[in-house]
Amino acid sequence: MNILTLIKISWRNVWRNKLRSFVVIISVVFGLLGGIIIIAMSYGLNEERMNNAVETYLSHIQIHNKSFSEEYNIKYTIDNLEGIENAINNDIRVVSYSKRIILNGMLSNSNGSYGIQVKGVDPIEEVKVTNTYEKIIEGEYFKSEKDNTILVGKKLADRLNLKLKSKVVITFQDENYELTSLLYRVEGIFRSGNSRYDEANVFVKNNSITKNLPNFSGYHEIPILLTDIELRNQVKNDLVSKNSNNLIEGWDDISKDLAYANEMLAAVLYIFMMIILSALSFGIVNTMLMAILERRKEIGMLMSIGMSRFKIFLMISFETMFLSIVALPIGLILSYSIVEYYSVVGIDLSIVEAGLENFGVGTRLYFKVPNQEYFIVAIMVFVISIISSIFPSVRALKINPVEATKTI
Amino acid sequence: MIETKNLSKIYNPGKFEVKAVNNISALFKEGEFTSVVGPSGSGKTTFLNCVGGLDQPTSGEVIISGENITKLSGSKIINYRLNNIGFVFQAYNLIPVLSAKENIEMIMLLQGVDENNRISRTNELLNQVGLYEMRNRRPSQLSGGQQQRVAVARALASKPKFILADEPTANLDSKSTSNLLDIMSQLNEAENITFIFSTHDQRVIDRARRVVTLEDGKIVNDNKK
Repeated sequence: MNILTLIKISWRNVWRNKLRSFVVIISVVFGLLGGIIIIAMSYGLNEERMNNAVETYLSHIQIHNKSFSEEYNIKYTIDNLEGIENAINNDIRVVSYSKRIILNGMLSNSNGSYGIQVKGVDPIEEVKVTNTYEKIIEGEYFKSEKDNTILVGKKLADRLNLKLKSKVVITFQDENYELTSLLYRVEGIFRSGNSRYDEANVFVKNNSITKNLPNFSGYHEIPILLTDIELRNQVKNDLVSKNSNNLIEGWDDISKDLAYANEMLAAVLYIFMMIILSALSFGIVNTMLMAILERRKEIGMLMSIGMSRFKIFLMISFETMFLSIVALPIGLILSYSIVEYYSVVGIDLSIVEAGLENFGVGTRLYFKVPNQEYFIVAIMVFVISIISSIFPSVRALKINPVEATKTI
Repeated sequence: MIETKNLSKIYNPGKFEVKAVNNISALFKEGEFTSVVGPSGSGKTTFLNCVGGLDQPTSGEVIISGENITKLSGSKIINYRLNNIGFVFQAYNLIPVLSAKENIEMIMLLQGVDENNRISRTNELLNQVGLYEMRNRRPSQLSGGQQQRVAVARALASKPKFILADEPTANLDSKSTSNLLDIMSQLNEAENITFIFSTHDQRVIDRARRVVTLEDGKIVNDNKK
């Protein structure tokens, strides 16, 4: 008996009890759909968190003085700034960059104090690398002609009860380790979608710092945006070779938790998918065991007339696999359609806004499933279906033809 | 030629022993048309199961054309059954998802018969059992008698040395029984195929040329007509 005949018999056997087969197929379809939607939501959340971080504060690459990264003293400005700017300006992989003065200090008003990082920026250059200007919810993004205006995050504003035009004092150590204070007035309040960032970062014009620190010059941070995030290691390596005193890091070097989350996500999702599919496989196994119980006599007859155990094993295995294989394309097409739709429209999750902000993402979640994930899920379903087929097939082999047929 | 020597089948040996077949020695020559009869529990089915290699006897031998099949195990006995013995079951036991033609063909597919020979043999058998016109019907579209005729054709498809049939007419009405017996008699005479039936049916007993009567697992009468 050739394999095609065996496949034909198995295929027809699957449809002997249509209702039962449909129930199993539908359960596999929904299991697949559930699994892929969870993958889509997880990838979507993670990508948005990553993009949010990159667009709001990380950029693709950052350059600091090595000593600044260790001590945060403002005297450690970026070394060979001119050479770096030349290299960046001549690199076609670079879309834009900015130069920042960074102060670690304390922001105070009459309501209290809070530890913050001050980013002294050129307002025009900064919009090329961050999207903070789009995130202003009250006031303006550095429209005032005055130098001593400040942008604060919504969370910090709430904590210190800051309003537009509120006065705040920033205190920090200058290059001589002396405490210095600068007075600012709130010009804008931003909400980046990451409440932790909003609580601990403020923006001021870099002029407001340099004019109050006559002995200070230079910058502490250069954020760089590239044409493609995947180019970061190439560009980073090229810059490293020219900058021995500066620390050049990709976004994944700076924010290790984000990078680890990215790496861990795939593994966690596969484990999750395996759990869903394993649960489904019990349904398939149960259905097949019922089918075998109903067909004991027939299987006994096949053994009696001389069908080998291997062929009976194959026949039952094919039947089990067909249930999954039929469900697979239906589940994938349905999942793909839903994922594509919500990758454009997104899902409104404003009901859990506070939690999402703490996580660093906005309230609209866009589904995302890399194409290779569909392929991997298909392989997983296929493997699970093969594993599921073993138990019913072995069970069928245990049928005693004499007992099964009762008579010869 | 089929020979059983001191054939015994004991269930629950050493405990509550049931001697289903008790030391039977018998000889069935080629071309015989034999009924094995006896009351329920007399051991007819167990005897035929042992002769057909479906059940392993507790002791004794079954020798078919000089080969002791009780010594065959695993795939060898399965292959032996496939190529040498035809089975007809009381409940027909056709594969419901296959047509009459496919049910007959299947056994030849198991044997690896090439397509041309398979098709011609199938058509020949369908004609012999009078079901050629219904060859594409599935078992559910055939009557009990027609299904049993397909089962006989299936049993013959492998060109077996002999056919074992347990109560083949038990589920059939008298017309279907008569029809089936006619077909089997013709095949027996025309192709010299050995038939051994177990039966309670007097119509089958009347048509048999030899009647072996069992009681308590022993042959109590062996009557050749």
